Amino acid sequence: MPLPLQQGLFQGQAAVEPMQVDGAPEENDNIEEEPQYTVENPSLDLEQHASQYTGLARLHRLMFIADHCPSLRVEGLRMALNYVMTTYNTNLYGIIHRKLQEAVSSSSSLPDAVAGSVHNVPPLDVPWMETTAKKAAFKLEKLDTDLKNYKSNSIKESIRRGHDDLGDHYLDCGDLTNALKCYSRARDYCTNPKHVVNMCLNVIKVSVYLQNWSHVLSYVNKAEATPDSESTTKEANLTVQSRLKCAAGLADLATRKYKSAAKHFLQANFDHCDFPELLSPSNVATYGALCALASFDRQELQHNVIGSSSFKQFLELEPQLRDILHNFYESKYAKCLKLLGDIKDNLLLDLYLAPHVSPLYTQIRNRALCQVSSQCLVTCTVVPVMKDLPGPPTCPPLYTQIRNRALCQYFSPYLSADMRKMASAFNTSVGALEDELMQLILEGQINARIDSHNKILYAKDIDQRSSTFEKSLTVGRDYQRRTKALILRAAVLKNQIHVKSPPREGGQGGEMSIAPGSASAARN
Amino acid sequence: MAANLEQFVSNVQTMSSSASFTNMVEYVSKSMDALAKNHAHIDTALATLSYSEHSIGVLALLVVKLSGAHIQDFETLYVQVQEFVSSCSEEQIKFAPETFAELCHKFTLQLVDRKQAQRGITILCQAIRKVQTHLALLTSIHPCLCQLCLLAKNFKPALSFLDVDITEISRESGHYDAKDFLLYFYYGGMIYTALKNYNRALYFFEMAVTTPSMAVSHITLESYKKFILVALIVQGKIPTLPKYAPQVVPRYIKPLCQAYHDLATAYGSNNPADVRSVITKHNDTFVRDNNMGLVKQCETALYKKNIQRLTKTFLTLSLADMANRVQLTGSREAEKYVLHMIEDGEIYATINQKDGMVRFHDNPEKYNSAAMLLELDKEMQKCIRMDEKIKEMDREIAVNPQYVQKVSGIHDEDMPASTSKGQGF
Amino acid sequence: MAGDAEIDFVGLSHELEAQELDAPGGVASPQLYGQLLALYLLHNDTISSKFLWKRIPNNIKQGNPELSLIWVVGQHMWKRDYPSIYESLRKDWSDSVKPIMNALNESMRRRAMNLVRKAYASINVDDFAVFMGMPVAEAKQAAIVEGWSLDPQSKFLTPKKIELVSTVTLPNEQHLSVLTDYVSFLEN
Repeated sequence: MPLPLQQGLFQGQAAVEPMQVDGAPEENDNIEEEPQYTVENPSLDLEQHASQYTGLARLHRLMFIADHCPSLRVEGLRMALNYVMTTYNTNLYGIIHRKLQEAVSSSSSLPDAVAGSVHNVPPLDVPWMETTAKKAAFKLEKLDTDLKNYKSNSIKESIRRGHDDLGDHYLDCGDLTNALKCYSRARDYCTNPKHVVNMCLNVIKVSVYLQNWSHVLSYVNKAEATPDSESTTKEANLTVQSRLKCAAGLADLATRKYKSAAKHFLQANFDHCDFPELLSPSNVATYGALCALASFDRQELQHNVIGSSSFKQFLELEPQLRDILHNFYESKYAKCLKLLGDIKDNLLLDLYLAPHVSPLYTQIRNRALCQVSSQCLVTCTVVPVMKDLPGPPTCPPLYTQIRNRALCQYFSPYLSADMRKMASAFNTSVGALEDELMQLILEGQINARIDSHNKILYAKDIDQRSSTFEKSLTVGRDYQRRTKALILRAAVLKNQIHVKSPPREGGQGGEMSIAPGSASAARN
Repeated sequence: MAANLEQFVSNVQTMSSSASFTNMVEYVSKSMDALAKNHAHIDTALATLSYSEHSIGVLALLVVKLSGAHIQDFETLYVQVQEFVSSCSEEQIKFAPETFAELCHKFTLQLVDRKQAQRGITILCQAIRKVQTHLALLTSIHPCLCQLCLLAKNFKPALSFLDVDITEISRESGHYDAKDFLLYFYYGGMIYTALKNYNRALYFFEMAVTTPSMAVSHITLESYKKFILVALIVQGKIPTLPKYAPQVVPRYIKPLCQAYHDLATAYGSNNPADVRSVITKHNDTFVRDNNMGLVKQCETALYKKNIQRLTKTFLTLSLADMANRVQLTGSREAEKYVLHMIEDGEIYATINQKDGMVRFHDNPEKYNSAAMLLELDKEMQKCIRMDEKIKEMDREIAVNPQYVQKVSGIHDEDMPASTSKGQGF
Repeated sequence: MAGDAEIDFVGLSHELEAQELDAPGGVASPQLYGQLLALYLLHNDTISSKFLWKRIPNNIKQGNPELSLIWVVGQHMWKRDYPSIYESLRKDWSDSVKPIMNALNESMRRRAMNLVRKAYASINVDDFAVFMGMPVAEAKQAAIVEGWSLDPQSKFLTPKKIELVSTVTLPNEQHLSVLTDYVSFLEN
């Protein structure tokens, strides 16, 4: 694939602002969570990128890119504008147009109207909006009437299709909630598994736009649980399956279940991966590869990703990612991390990937450190990396984590380590190192003991046998305590003992005031 | 002797010989007022009746005597009660458990008032044993005994009762009150705390705090405060209460114990200075609640906890360093702490005075001795017995007709075809 | 304590406890209090001794100075202040408590020695003498008898650890029946 395209693919989605396009442009809750950032130098071919998607997917992505990338803003919005005019989505049209105006006027010093014409921004096409709105309403009415007719005729199949059509139309208008409602209603009129699957796919699609991930996952499960019917072909089956997997992967990614997401993406079938209204094959490659890097261990990485023939085809779409994977596996961490840094900008423009870039990168880095120290007994490769990381207390929490990871992994191959050497390797004093190590040991990240007298750190073998005995005794005692409490409670409930409010009883409080006073004088 | 009393005595005698004890109980309770009026002559009546044969009658008389507004001759009464408790017939007493309990309550009150708590201990011990059908039965006399022990500062007698795990609570004809339950566990907790058996104390306070309640009881409040303090000593933090703990606790009780929660938060920071400042800040509250002693123990416990943390991380450590980390005054004090903890078996370490170092060891228990095997065996047997008890309780419920009816009733409702609703077995 | 037969101190303390509870008017004799207090100390039950002290009526305390002396020993034991303990034990005790206090002295020494053995890898001879309540030379002697090594220059003793031998055994048939019980329990 030529270079421009793969860079375009990296843009992907940013989950920052799912456009609430049903109704007035309302602020989305997610916005305040994500820090507003801009990407300055993406290498992205916007047209190529956008052409991989259809419908709302394309619009959402373009708008995301526009929001986060000043240099591509105008172009992106313009493309979005042109595209939205092929749909019934007048609301979104208004939003995009407004954004375009703002973008254009802010990027040039000429007055608005002039700027507009200079940059070739057409004025708000109100007639188009009116006509489209009318057309949409008209179509809606027709579909509605049709549906009513079908309902009176009680032909299940037609009713179902009617709901579906209605749902499709709402989707086209950008009214996602109603679309979802219609698709869901079709459930009751499904007569064979194929319909059910279809319905699920529709619901999944809308749920993805709505970013309702739990919905997505539940419907994926539902669809997968539907038995295959004989009428569907193997091809269709595979497509459906791939689609479900990708949707599930997307949902997992959004909810930070990276390992699960990776597993799902890896199960997508390359030849049957054609859902431009959801995501593109290169997206699958990107998401899958990154999630796998951050969550799989070496064996899994080798087995499921690098050695996988099916995923290999996806990776062909993203040579950069493929290189990253290979470098990681071959322990060329510096190179790998550097390449990751290079593509970071493009990843930040991906609608679904952007909020996870940071955590994913951290995890990948940690894994790299794990493997570094577990593979090499010599400190030289670790040290240069570590020396660049600032030590506590100045470093931000993320770096502390990385530093701790490094400390742990530095020590993991050793039975004993000289703390003085370690301190110099980590650019700190022995005393400070001792404190850091103490914290790590208490948290359970290092299994070791400090010999403060000789300043040596000794690895500690847990005596599994003794600890098992200890644990079993503790569990036993715990069980006994809880059971005693339960038996007592059963007796209490049987006798209906409970503290009532005092009215007639008189002194629940009164008499008691004697008790604590006199009795506790007895104690101590 | 007044006529009423004569009547009473002869009735009692007849009924006792015919062993119609339920009737007697009824008769006796009806006669209480009449007896009260004849206060002066009760002693004579008592002399006529036999303690062991006419226990219920005697019981009633004694209760009346104890309820009197002013008791002139307490010594005689004391002896009478003493004799009664030791010689009364268990069989008869079982018919009037609540009166018997009342006797003990009033007796305790009298002793407490006269500051002679010590004298009642053996008597109450006997009393409880007479009423208990089995050792794990909780009566309302238990808290009286605990109260006496606390006031007398003599705890050992109560231990034989406290150490038994309760499996049943005596109904006492419906007179058993939540207050008795709460008091038992509150007092019990205090006794265990005094004896420094903190684990058991914690259990007792927890039981007091998790009693079902709709209202706030002072006892629960005080139990909760001590619960927090003991939990800090044992575990270093406030444990989460089980799910069945009443809502009253977090809603009403917790806000009243702010000082204690502050202490717990400071404790969590492992910093003795913080803890000390909280203690000084809330000094008045702690003193007012009579919990200052416990609070001081929390403070010491914190030092020990910190030292124990050190054992987890260090192999050897200089005494001076330890003193620094744990905020002790110097290596001498650190040495003393370590020595005490070694003596108490709280840590495993050796002190090397030559280098001024402490060397920490792992638990030397290798779990490969016959003694350990016996210990494990003992624990397992306990667990098995508990399990059997639970199974037994489950079986009891399963054959309870009410339960069976309810369960089968529900099934019937589920099946739309069935027309027979609530048709038990 | 040569001479008398072994006094059953444990049994004696149980007896005295029962006697105290049954005492007329709730107050026992000073002799009883003295003995019981001393017995608690002998058993290293400082908690019980503290509460016993608290419940002895004031007039008895005042009328019997020996009780206070016994309690002073207890106070020092509570604080684990070894030199003071030995110091306070060196008194002329009355006959009822003398055997107990002597036994206490012995057991303190033994306990101190065990503790030092358990807790110290090396200890200063002077400190050790303090633990033992003996003059330094005698302490040194005692240590050497136990097989400890003394470094004359630095005056540090190195205690010798004793291996504890367990004497508990379980007969084999019992083993088997116990195991059968467990298995049958687990399977139900």
